[in-house]
Amino acid sequence: MGNANFQALIDRRMGIIGTLKQELIKRFNLPFTPEDLHEDVSLLGSGLGLDSLDALEIVLCVESCFKVKVPDNSIAVLRSINSLVDFVICEQDGEAAAR
Amino acid sequence: MRNLQLAARWVGATLAERHGVEVVSRVADFETEYNLVRDSVALTDFSFLRRYRLPTDQGIDLLDGLLPGNVARIRYGRIMQTFMADDDGRLQADCYVANNDEEMILLCEAAAPDDVMARIIREADREGIAQDLTDSHVLLSIDGFRAWAVVRDLFGVDVLGLPYLSVELYPFEKEQIYLFRAGKTSEFGYLLMAPLSVADRLFETVRDAVTRQGGGTCGVEVHDALRLEGRFFNIHAEGLVVGDPLVLGLQWMMDFEKSDYRGAAAIMRRRAAGLSRKVIGVLASPGENRLGIGTHLFHGADEVGEVVADAWSPGLDRWVALAVFRIDMAYAGLAFALGSPQGREVRTISMPPIMAKSFSVKLDEM
Repeated sequence: MGNANFQALIDRRMGIIGTLKQELIKRFNLPFTPEDLHEDVSLLGSGLGLDSLDALEIVLCVESCFKVKVPDNSIAVLRSINSLVDFVICEQDGEAAAR
Repeated sequence: MRNLQLAARWVGATLAERHGVEVVSRVADFETEYNLVRDSVALTDFSFLRRYRLPTDQGIDLLDGLLPGNVARIRYGRIMQTFMADDDGRLQADCYVANNDEEMILLCEAAAPDDVMARIIREADREGIAQDLTDSHVLLSIDGFRAWAVVRDLFGVDVLGLPYLSVELYPFEKEQIYLFRAGKTSEFGYLLMAPLSVADRLFETVRDAVTRQGGGTCGVEVHDALRLEGRFFNIHAEGLVVGDPLVLGLQWMMDFEKSDYRGAAAIMRRRAAGLSRKVIGVLASPGENRLGIGTHLFHGADEVGEVVADAWSPGLDRWVALAVFRIDMAYAGLAFALGSPQGREVRTISMPPIMAKSFSVKLDEM
């Protein structure tokens, strides 16, 4: 199978997910444990039901936790925890490649 | 079998049965119906959902004792998504609960026959306050990139201000009909609930408005695929196969401070024990065959997952699926072998894998 290092991929993703879940629960006072939050749950609209003001807070959360810049009008990035994780991984890999 | 009240309107369509209830399965070919929703708008019949009206003052307590969501916290004019479980905490129905001022509306999409659902409501409703609207009303679904234009033409421009998951009453001929802004296609979606006395006229009026927007009619098969593409929960697909709301990631539909709803003890017991499996998205390579419900997934020689729902995605031009994985493997971005340790490669993905066109529509552009 095409996994260069299966466990390393899991560990990296798990680390980002853990940070994001803790921050989202804290910032939005969500009545869930990290285990309760499925990574694909919709952040805006249905699912967690966050609104457009909350979207800004999510952007700030991602930028401060991972030192990456979320572009304006990046609604696709804000769909779920998993889409945020994909974005962070992509940005981190892009920065590493640029160095 | 409970037949559709508007069956005469669906002559020529393929009808099917789901848990003893008639549904419009398909009207045209799959891709045509898919493109209607993605590019314009499609009308279908959602009267297979059971529907109830309850007075708010007593209805909140009744529904709170039945459903894991916190019904008392639904604001006026808004809708909550939750589910109904059996005593073992396994899924029986996907539910919308709407707070419409003096009344609560419960819409149930059940994975159980009508008589089972009716008995559950009857047992919870000791004072006989729930009015069953299933036979007296129809439910039409309008979904698509241009669905907003259809309801605007029908009810006026104010309808555009309704947020997702809200309810409002609108006059139609001499009746009041309910408009629920909901839907599970990722595009704009509206449900219209109307009494039988105006059902035929409403159907005609909506179909004409849909046609003016370049749309048409569709069945529930394409809705199943759209739900999977958009990672909306489908009681008839992964819900039926998996059964456990925790494994399916439906915790967001629950209030864990509640402990007295149907199935609560079993669900809380499983939550305390911790999850051992979780459902995530899987994508086939382009040109590959469908993944197949029940097919196992392997990491090396170890069987680590099983496909629980799949659908052809015209948007992605490949098969997409949901699979239940061992919890330590349930992450996006990994490759697994399908069917055997030597099987073809499929990859786990973040869901949803598509970005609906409706997300790009701005209110001032409508």
